[in-house]
Amino acid sequence: MPMSGKREHDLLSKMHSQHAADKENDRMDTGSFPIVRRRPRRRGVTNEVRGHVASSILIVVLCAMLGFGYAIQLNNTTSTYETMSEDELTRLITETSTQVQNLQQRKAELSSQLKSLQEAANKQEEAKRIAKQNEDTSGLLSGRLPAVGEGVVIRVTRGTKEKVDASTMFQLLEELRNAGVEVMAINSVRVVTSTYIADAKGGLLCDGVLLKAPYTVKAIGDSQNLQNAVNIAGGVGSRLKVKFGAQVSVVSSNSVQINEIAQVEQYSYAKTVE
Amino acid sequence: MAAVLGLIIGVVVGIFVRPDIPIVLQPYLPIMVVAALDALLGAARSYFERSFSDKVFVISFVSNVVTATLLVLLGNQLGVGSQLQTAVIVVLGIRIFSNVSAIRRFIFRG
Repeated sequence: MPMSGKREHDLLSKMHSQHAADKENDRMDTGSFPIVRRRPRRRGVTNEVRGHVASSILIVVLCAMLGFGYAIQLNNTTSTYETMSEDELTRLITETSTQVQNLQQRKAELSSQLKSLQEAANKQEEAKRIAKQNEDTSGLLSGRLPAVGEGVVIRVTRGTKEKVDASTMFQLLEELRNAGVEVMAINSVRVVTSTYIADAKGGLLCDGVLLKAPYTVKAIGDSQNLQNAVNIAGGVGSRLKVKFGAQVSVVSSNSVQINEIAQVEQYSYAKTVE
Repeated sequence: MAAVLGLIIGVVVGIFVRPDIPIVLQPYLPIMVVAALDALLGAARSYFERSFSDKVFVISFVSNVVTATLLVLLGNQLGVGSQLQTAVIVVLGIRIFSNVSAIRRFIFRG
């Protein structure tokens, strides 16, 4: 026990002295180790300031982005379909197509109306045209209007053997009618449906007008047919020549002018059927 | 102070510059704006509660925006974009309302 106690004492004193020596060696305020101050505090202060500034700048930037986005979105929302949902877009399309249909229907109605109006106008124009045509035709037919056109001029001189009589003259007119004459006149008398020819002293009486030889018959129609009708063998032309000894000349022309007009009859009994 | 300054700068720049936003970003911009607004109001509330921290604000701002955008993007890819957009808007709206009411209590209590 004493042995061990002594040994223990030794160890303790040894440790003690060692510690003392260590402390002596580790001393720093000897001047050989200049005290270098750590600068955690100062460094900490700058870090803090920097961090503060940086986060402030970051806040400014973030808030600026927020405001920027807000302003853009304000300008943007009204003009785009991009952010609309599918339902909204479907509804929009349906509405638009309904509107289009309505407008097309309206357009069809209006165009059919326009068409019917145009047709009516055309009909009216057509009626006017037909009325004009009828007026012209009936004017020519009744001898109310002067006429011009292709035809023949027939001259019949005084008969050397015999006086040209009314029936032969009438036959001439009938032959011409059969050949398709449209308008004709004999001397100064327009030949119409009611024209008559009668024998008279010194000539022929036609519609109350005394005609004297030579007789000039102007006829408008197909000149070839008219010529044939007069000159046909055994026809009225040869009869005039042979029986009456008259000279008959037929001259065809492209523009036979008939200026003679007839008095229009006033109908007192006949009325048109409505 | 910095936040207000930044807001004013951003709005003025946005009004006067009027840039074309890329088409890809167009559906997400309103969501981003609402999320950022929520973060801003949360920051205002924490400021009144004397517990405002720059770092927390910046991180919450960015994460709010990114989360909202990603959520809508995911919804678009899954085909429920409009519904998810509505959901995000509703949630953010509720948060904005609660933040505003907290701020109001702070203002009118003292």
